[in-house]
Amino acid sequence: MDKNQKKFYPDYLFEILLVCLFALEGALLLSYVFPPVTGSPVDFSRNFMPRPEWYFLALYQMFKYFPGRLAFIGVAVIPAAIIFLVFALPFLEKTHSRRLSDRKFSALVVAVILISAVVLTVLSYY
Amino acid sequence: MINPFSIIDRRLGLKRHYRRIFERPLPEGVTYFYCLGGIAFFFLIVLTFTGVVLSFYYVPSASEAYHTIRFIDGKLPGGASMPGGWLMRALHVWAASGMVAAVMAHMLRVYITGSYKPPRELNWVVGATLFVLTMAFGFSGYLLPWDQKAYWATTVGTAMPKTIPVIGNFIMELLRGGPDVTGITLLRFYVMHVYILPLVSIFLLWAHFHMIRRQGISGGL
Repeated sequence: MDKNQKKFYPDYLFEILLVCLFALEGALLLSYVFPPVTGSPVDFSRNFMPRPEWYFLALYQMFKYFPGRLAFIGVAVIPAAIIFLVFALPFLEKTHSRRLSDRKFSALVVAVILISAVVLTVLSYY
Repeated sequence: MINPFSIIDRRLGLKRHYRRIFERPLPEGVTYFYCLGGIAFFFLIVLTFTGVVLSFYYVPSASEAYHTIRFIDGKLPGGASMPGGWLMRALHVWAASGMVAAVMAHMLRVYITGSYKPPRELNWVVGATLFVLTMAFGFSGYLLPWDQKAYWATTVGTAMPKTIPVIGNFIMELLRGGPDVTGITLLRFYVMHVYILPLVSIFLLWAHFHMIRRQGISGGL
């Protein structure tokens, strides 16, 4: 067997433990500098539009573009279609090549979805 | 000299098993980008630990939840607090964000390297389910502090499915446990967050890791 070939132990395990240590340090630092803020107690009479966690902001922003009876398109049809695409991805692509350059159409669709999600997230701050 | 480990090993064959896991070779081209799934799993371990510690003090009821969160944070007027509670809660919140970010980055890495190509299609489907579960963890956990922000975010979030024709109202009432967000909703979200989602996730993670072991890491292009 090739002496230079990486093994799970010690090479890969060491790499993973190293990045996990950095991840823990990052989480500890953020916890110390920005601890979570607990708001006021629930006031049922004071209705307001709170911001969700950052990973739901794109969905929250899309909700604004489909008012009234069309709302389900923004909050159900489009997200369900994207989730379906994600799940079916290995079965939708015809090529068995792993290279991105051999699956340009797929890459284009994924790029459009990702850029849209980022743009919607940024727009939700305004 | 009796070696206690060898007594156990003769019966259970632990060393043999350990060798299979730890000494398997890796393909060429495995870089640090292949650690993202490991980071997500590590955050899950942090979340499990801090979550269990928080659950020793948190009470999931409409009258107690906010009070116990203030106790955990050490923000009660009397000064009573859970020792180290603020850190446990802060870590839980930040590790949750970290896990979502790591899962997303891991999925993007798997997409770019085409690692879901045959024979690994099924593992991609399991992974995508785990992504949805991760988001559900985030959504259900957001209500638990039972403050103004949590209450109204959940009211808006659970009202979204209501707009779906025919079945919308049923889905909303299933999530809320009634027409409005009440203590029943809090209990429902708590049960989702600490029983149902962890159980399903552990099973799927077991499948995810065993498929990786069977099929190996896909390696560089």
